Parts: sequence; C-alpha cells; structure tokens
Amino acid sequence: MKFNLFLNLLVLVCGVFSTPAAFAQDKHTISGYISSSANGEALNSAKIYVPSLNKGAITNNYGFYSLTLPSGIYEIEFRCTGLTTVKKTIDLSTENVTLNTELGLKDGEKVFEEVVVNGKKGDNVNSANLGQMELNIDQIKRLPAFMGEVDVIKTLQLLPGVSSVSEGGQGFYVRGGGPDQNLVLLDEGVVYNASHLFGFFSVFNSDAVRNVNLIKGGMPANYGGRLSSVLEVNMNEGNNKRFSVKGGLGAISSRLTLEGPLKKDRGSFIVSGRRTYIDVLAKAVISDTSPFAGSGYFFYDMNAKLNYKLGEKDRIFLSGYYGKDVFTFADRDGGFSADMPWGNGIAALRWNHVFNAKLFMNVTSTFSDYRFKFGSQQDEFRIEFLSGIQDYCTKVDFSYYPNDKHRVKWGANYIYHVFTPSSVSASQDTVVFNTGNAQQLFSHEEAIYLMDEFDLNDRLRINAGLRYTAFQHVGPFTRYIKGDISKPDTAIEYGAGDLIKFYHGLEPRLSFRYLTGEHSSIKGGYAYNYQFVHLTSLSAVSLPTDIWYPTTDIAKPQIGFQASLGYFQNFFSDKYEASVEVYYKGMNNIVEFKEGALPGDNVNDNTDNLMVFGKGWAYGVEFFFKKAVGKFTGWIGYTWAKTERKFPDLNNGEVFPAKYDRRHDLSIAATYMLNDHWTLSSTFIYATGNTLTLPTSWYVQDQNLLFNYGARNSTRMAPYHRLDFSATWYDKAYKTKTDPATGKEIEVKKRLRNNIAISVYNVYNRANPFFLYVDNDGDFFNGDFKLSVKQVSLFPIIPSVTWNFEF
Amino acid sequence: MEFRILSAAIASFVLLFSSCTKEVKIDIPGYKEQLVVDGSIREGEPPIILLSKSQNIYAPTDINAYLGSFVGDAVVTVSDGTNTVTLSKICTDDLPPGTEAYAEALFGMSIQELQQLPSPLCVYTSFDPTMFGQVGKTYTLTINHDGKTYTSTTTIYPPVVLDYLTWKPEANSSSIGYLYSFMTDNASTSDNFMWEMKKVSDPMFTKPFNPYFNDAFFNGLAFEFTIYNPLSFNDSTYAENERGYYKQGDTVLMRLSRMGKKEYNFFEKKINQVFSSGSPFATPINVPSNIEGGALGVWVGYSTYLDTVICQP
Repeated sequence: MKFNLFLNLLVLVCGVFSTPAAFAQDKHTISGYISSSANGEALNSAKIYVPSLNKGAITNNYGFYSLTLPSGIYEIEFRCTGLTTVKKTIDLSTENVTLNTELGLKDGEKVFEEVVVNGKKGDNVNSANLGQMELNIDQIKRLPAFMGEVDVIKTLQLLPGVSSVSEGGQGFYVRGGGPDQNLVLLDEGVVYNASHLFGFFSVFNSDAVRNVNLIKGGMPANYGGRLSSVLEVNMNEGNNKRFSVKGGLGAISSRLTLEGPLKKDRGSFIVSGRRTYIDVLAKAVISDTSPFAGSGYFFYDMNAKLNYKLGEKDRIFLSGYYGKDVFTFADRDGGFSADMPWGNGIAALRWNHVFNAKLFMNVTSTFSDYRFKFGSQQDEFRIEFLSGIQDYCTKVDFSYYPNDKHRVKWGANYIYHVFTPSSVSASQDTVVFNTGNAQQLFSHEEAIYLMDEFDLNDRLRINAGLRYTAFQHVGPFTRYIKGDISKPDTAIEYGAGDLIKFYHGLEPRLSFRYLTGEHSSIKGGYAYNYQFVHLTSLSAVSLPTDIWYPTTDIAKPQIGFQASLGYFQNFFSDKYEASVEVYYKGMNNIVEFKEGALPGDNVNDNTDNLMVFGKGWAYGVEFFFKKAVGKFTGWIGYTWAKTERKFPDLNNGEVFPAKYDRRHDLSIAATYMLNDHWTLSSTFIYATGNTLTLPTSWYVQDQNLLFNYGARNSTRMAPYHRLDFSATWYDKAYKTKTDPATGKEIEVKKRLRNNIAISVYNVYNRANPFFLYVDNDGDFFNGDFKLSVKQVSLFPIIPSVTWNFEF
Repeated sequence: MEFRILSAAIASFVLLFSSCTKEVKIDIPGYKEQLVVDGSIREGEPPIILLSKSQNIYAPTDINAYLGSFVGDAVVTVSDGTNTVTLSKICTDDLPPGTEAYAEALFGMSIQELQQLPSPLCVYTSFDPTMFGQVGKTYTLTINHDGKTYTSTTTIYPPVVLDYLTWKPEANSSSIGYLYSFMTDNASTSDNFMWEMKKVSDPMFTKPFNPYFNDAFFNGLAFEFTIYNPLSFNDSTYAENERGYYKQGDTVLMRLSRMGKKEYNFFEKKINQVFSSGSPFATPINVPSNIEGGALGVWVGYSTYLDTVICQP
C-alpha cells in the first residue's frame, strides 16, 4: 500500500513537470531575490503579489521567489512585514523576467507609518501551513526579557501548544511530545542542547538571529527525524551595505555584534559574541581565602556567518556557532572540587544555485557537536564523565515552481551520527580503575523526500509529500547481554562498519487548506514520522546531563503520527487573527530509564540495557487570538491538553500522565507603542502545575528513614502563573539635516541608536513551584521528628535594565 | 556514582537561585500499608528479624507512631535447606543477659530508654546454634502475618581478605593519618561489600556515610586505597581538623562484610535514595526489596572479615 502511495505521488509530480511544456507559450515566470534595502539581507517569507490576478508567491529561506503567470503586463507588489511595499510593472508578454528587489528604507531614510504594511496579512488563513508560527526577532525583542536577556525560546513558550519544562527552563514540549522530539536547527545545523545555565537562557543570541519559525503540526516532508516539531532559527547574514556595530550591556551578560560587507552588495559577514559575568560577580563575593574560592559559573557563545554572491545564480553561506557553559565548584576544606563544562559547536556551509527561473537548489553540509563533561575530585580520587554527540550531515534540496499552482520540493539528506552516551574514567592516585570502554555508537541516517504544494482550485490547497527514511546502526560496537543473577553476562563484538541493525520506513505527510470565505479557512493535516535519536533523562527537570542515545538493536526508532484540524478566521481586514486547532498525537517506542536505574560505569554494559520502552499519546485543543498590526499588538493563546504514557515496565504497566501533562495553559503577550520613545509590553502565563512522583509512605530500615514512592507522576504541583512587564525607551530616531541637492531641511535616520529596556520578571512576586520534596527534620528519639512537603521556588520579582546600542 | 555527585552539585547550584522554600499541603494519592522486613544473618551469629509497617507520609511522626509501626504478632521461620527453625520473639522488656548493647544499636536508643517505652519493641531470632550463619549456606526466611506469606532467600558468600591494613601519618602531621589497605580482587567473582569500623572498646560497629561498595570499578585489580575514620565525626575528642583521620595511638577494628548481588542492590538504592531524596535532579527511587509477597525491606546474609589496626607508624 505504501508503495502504491509513493507511485501515485510520482505520477502526480510527473504531471506537474509536464504542465509547463504544454502551456509554455502562454506563460512566463518572474523570479529573483528579495532583500532588505537597509542591509542587503535576504528576506524570507516576503511576498510577491499580483493584485489583478489575486495570485502570489512567497520567498523561501534564502529570499528566492518564482511566480509563473500568463503572458502579459502586470503591476506587482513586493511586501514584507514592517517594510514599505514596492510596486513594479513587469512585462511578461514575451519572456521570463529575473528581478531582484530591495524592500524597506534605504539606510537613513525616514519611515512613514502609512506605507508600512503587514506583509503577512491574511497568511494565516491563506497558507496551507498548519500549526506553523513565525516570529520576527523584532517582535521577540519587544517582549519582557528575563534578566534582560532577550530569549527566543521563552517567547515560543508563549504560543499555544508549546509548554515550558519548568520555571525558566529552555526545554520545550510541543503538543505532548518530549523535548528530544523537537528538531532545533540553527542555519540548518542541528542544535542538541539549546540552553545555557541549566536551561535558564537560550543559546540563541538575539542580535545574531533574524527570525524563528516553529512547525508544531503538519510537518512538511522536507523535514524529518523528529516526531513533534521543527524549530528553525535563521541567523542574520550581515549588513552588505556598510559596517555596523550593535551590542548590549545587561545585568548578567553583555553582547557585541559586528557586521559589514565583504564586498559591497556581493557579500557580508557578521560576528556576534556574548558572555555572562556571573563568575566575575561571584569572585567579588567569594574571597581568595574562602574554601569555596574557584567556584563559579559563566557561559559564552559566538555566532559568525559569511555570505557571498558568486554570481547571479550562486551564493554561498558559511555559518558557525560555538558556545560553552562552565560550572566549577570547589570546597577546599572538604578536599572536593568539581568542574562541568558543556556546549555546542555547529558549522554549516550552504550553496544556493538557481538553475533557471523555476528551479532552485540548496546544498548544505553541517557539523554539529554537543559535549557534556563532568569531573570531580575528592582528595586523590578523581572521576570523569563524558557524554556527547557529533553529527556530520549533507543534504540537497530542490525547489521547483512549474506554474502558479504547484510548488514542488524534493531532496535527500544523509547524517553520520557518532554518539558517546557515556564515557567514565576514574583513578585513585596512580591506579586507574576499570570503568569499561567509552561507549561510542555509530550510525547512518538517510532520507529522500518529494512534496508538492498545489492548488486544486481557488479554495483548496494541498501539500502532499512522502519521505523515506533509513537508519543503520553499525560497528564497532560491543553488545553486552545481561544475564540475571544466575547467568553470566555475554558479549557480541561487531567490527568497524558491521551492520548491526537496519530500520527504514515511509513517512506520508498531507495537509490541506480550504478557504471557506475571503477571511476564513479550514486546515487539516496528517504527518507520520520516524525518529532515530532518543534523549533519556534521569531527572525530573531537563539538564545537560540528559543522555542522547541512538536507535540500536534494542532501542527501536520512535514512531509517531499527528492528525490536526483547524479553523482560521480573520477580522477587520486581517487586523485580528483567530484560530482554533485540535490535534491527536500517537507515539511508539519512546524511551525512559528503568525504575531505579543509575548509569554509572561502562563495565560490561550498554546504556540501553537500562532503558525501557513504551508508548504515549496526546490530544488537545488550542485557541489563538492575535492583533497583528497597529500600536497595540499581541496575542492570547489557550491550550487544553492531555498527555499520557504507558510502559509495560514502569508504573506496574499502568497509564500515567507525562511529567509535563498540562491541562490548561494560557499565555497573553501584549505590546503597546506609546510614542516614538516608549514601548510598553507585558506577558502573562497561567499553566496547570507539572506532575511529579512523591513518596506516599515512609518506613525505617536500620535506623534510616526510607520513602516508598507512589504511582508515577500521580501528584500535581500548584498552578504556575506569572506576569512580566517591560518598558523600552528609544532615543530619537531621526535628525534634521540640509539636503545638499535641494537645500531643504530633511529628516534622516541617526547612525547611533540607543535604547534602554527595563524589565520586571514576576511582577507580583508569585512563588511558583519549581519542585517539591519531602523534608524530614529532627530526630525520632528526641520527639521532634517531622515530615513535611516543601515547595522550592526559584525566581522572585527580578527587575533588570539593559542598554542596547547600534551604529 | 558520578550521577549522584552530579545531582548533588547541580542541586546545590540551583538552590543558590531559589528564592524561597515553604511547606505546602498537597494531595499525594496511593498510600497502602506494607510490611517492612529488616532481617539479617551473619556468619557465626543468629538471624535477627525486625518487622514493622510502612506509614502514610502525612501520618504522625512522634515516638508513639514510630513504636506503633513495629509488628510483634508474626510467625517467622528460617531454613538453611536442611533445618527449619521458628524464631522466637525477644522483646526489650525481657532481654537475655548480654544482648543489651546489641538492642541499643539495633533500635538506636539507650537501654534505659528502651526499658521505659510504653510498649516493648521485639525482634525475631533464634539462639539455636544450628541456625547461626555459616559460609556457603543459603537461608530462606518465611513470614506469616495477617494472613499473608512473605519469603526471601540469602546466601553467605566466603569473606574477602585484605592484603594488609595499616596506618600512615599525614605528611604534615605525624599525629593523624588515614588507614591504608591493599586489596587483590578476584576477577571471577562478583563481590559486594559493606564496611564498618569501631574502636576496640565500642560495643558495636559504626557505619560510615556510605558503607556499601562493589568491585564493578576494580574487578580483578590489585590496588591500595585509603580508609577515612567514620568514628571521628561523632567523637568530641577529635578536633575539627582531625575529623576523618585516625589519631596516632588509636586501636580500631574494621569489619568487611560480603553479601549477595540482590542484597547489595537493595543497599545501593537505599543509599541513593537517602542521598538524593528530594532533589529534582534525581529520579524517585523505590528501594528494591528482595522479599517476595509485597513487603518492603531486605533479608541479607553477611560473611565477615575482621582486621585490627594499632595506629602507629
């Protein structure tokens, strides 16, 4: 059946390819790039629109568009949110036209509110994208920021269907999926750990990010490898018009970004760095003579990107990210010290090639490296733990625009994974203990896909795709087969390149949009996904210690599907957008550690011997209401959801709620531009409390008080709610100068710009639960023994001020 | 083990950020009362079984609640495969002569406190010498209580002998030092241990912070290791900077007890729970009982290696 489906799709696409030949004499294509006139950066999701035909196209991630129209002369509009629309008359009577267009204001030109448009006007109703949310970095920067650090992921957590892991946490859950089920991409390189400081800050430096796109349902066929969502973060390309600097000085960190042309209008670069100074502040508190001297924490990260136009048809992009967190702890009195560095490194090289007006290609090679290390020393005893994952990926994607009704994509990708889930070394003085071999697992992952977004008629748009994925777990590898107490363990050795296990499968994807009126539509979608990487966590909260583990002969690939249906309605000329979406998600072969499992060393064992496998499901309904334009903008999102798990080997085989099962989740984000100088914004969150497992009873064994825990995740914390507020002051944007040509006084944009952002986190100082524990205090025999449930809260009201500048 | 250290390190770091900790009352569903078995049989010693019941997390925690949790109406038997003995109940109001110190250590109360309790505490034991622990034997425990039967088995494995145990002074102070021992581990056996220490004059051994270890790290290796002094932490004759050390002139007795894998698993998880209890960075760990029939606790057999050290250079 699957083969038939693939065949049908091929036939459909072959039909698509034959279409332009049949009508070649009647149609011509306009294609090119749309970029910003201020800095020359490509504009993705910009719109080219033909009012007379009510037809249009959208630029891809690289700013390329292609639109085939009947021969004729057209007035065409080029639009992008927040920029002035450009209208051009194009003659497509006799030939194809290549037209690169710049949108927006020239550097220094003054903006007039009335010509700035909402370039995405009506997109939420018209596009076939289901469950997709795009956020512009300027939107994100206007919202309150925790400790002054503008945070992409925390803003995403304000969207319906997206929940945070915990107070301040960076991990996010999309429609009941685990944090490992989100494919997080930075310029197409996979980010395995998107957080700093145990999750309180995102790895995405807001000064280096251009836009953020989240796909939480109806994943198109060009994406794969994860069950729940895709989070695409695109870095700025750098200003190719002039050299510029921007930065910020905050309460705990500072940023600096340099960008400029490599060669004007041909290429540009951007380098952006950020570092916290918690360690410097800690040094002021902890004297050199203190036993804790040497304890501290800092993180830094650096983004860099180069792009260059080799010609009209070729562009290359080289992007890189490197970030590291370092936590050190020293207790000289106790003879104990610990250090814990972790971080990501990502490099991506991309090549865009335009074959012709209708065919665009992108080739990407990426390298992703995530490492976590922990070392501790107690007197002469030293132990080190290392975990990590490296991905070497190459992919090619083609976009073909045969006519105004079809947008076809196909491509292939290949990833070579090297997993080091656990490598332990230990020594006492000069004796090195046997901690087993460092576990390394090697695998190949491949995929090919084909998809077509096409308009069956004026109302019905369909996006149909098929993805074939394959995965090979290969040697070298030692499989330890654990015997019970009565049987010895045995081992199977695999040599380098030996195939240990092969998995493959088809992933059908389908979504549709049906226009029910000029400003309303119904959308539906179905996506079937395989996932070959697993994130296993021992803790109740997400940590860098969580272990990435591949699919093996024991750990099967995660398989999931999601079906969703939504109604979208805009009001008052698309100024207000509203939607309601329902979804159901099923997941198989999801991974948890066995009850009581504690990965220690690698002596005659594999980590997956400690794992158990089960299934999960999630369903819910999401309501979203947004005001997209005007001085007052913002949104309200509400989600009702249920997320459950069932593992034969956990919780006595009974169904239990996922730890992030959240029945109600309400988010409100609002921004008001008071005047040219002040912008006010506020966010409010209300969410049902997380679940957790607490002891139901206590007992005494050998004078130790022990706890017996109840059903998994059977206790629920108090609800979480919080109000944040920010006020940002912008200096005067324009100055007056005399136009040498006319002698008149004109207003021009100032080169040096400043703003001061004042944020207040947790305005009403709510003590939200971070975790609960059972505390025991006193002594049985002194009569003052007491057990109580304690709630730990993290952040009280936190005001912060950040100064940002740009010139 | 490194996860435990890691968990503690991260927990302490996160707690630096915590704004407040307060007591809350929330519903914790799922309580059910269970029998708790704390039973052991040591080489050359009689079996000792203490029975109690688990208590609701919100149940009163005063001394009466603690005393009320003990079970004195069970029928307990131990079998070595050949002989089966029904254990007798020995209570604190009628202790056999010479067992007072043992009772103090077992219950954590002085003999005076024990004798003043409103109701006596009882253990199940047998002074039948045929049921004293012997190396190589497997002992089956059977408990009948409230119409239910609980069973467990444990084996006493041969003891492991240390190559030497000696005291060495610190480089910067000749009056204090650690004990140093050398172990040659048998690669063909899985060895699980508990170590304890006492002064010669002490009636009972004292357990260190974590008395349990196994040979997973050093299977088949021969190596020297240091042993800190767990006795010094509750002894006022040791100055603050002497804690953990043995003083020159001390005479101490070390006991190295070997046990089975399942029993070790109980104690390892128990220590993990004691260390990590309450941390959000640790999985809630139920301590895995080796008692069949739905009881909590452990039935463990120990062999004994004893070594005496006089702390002199």
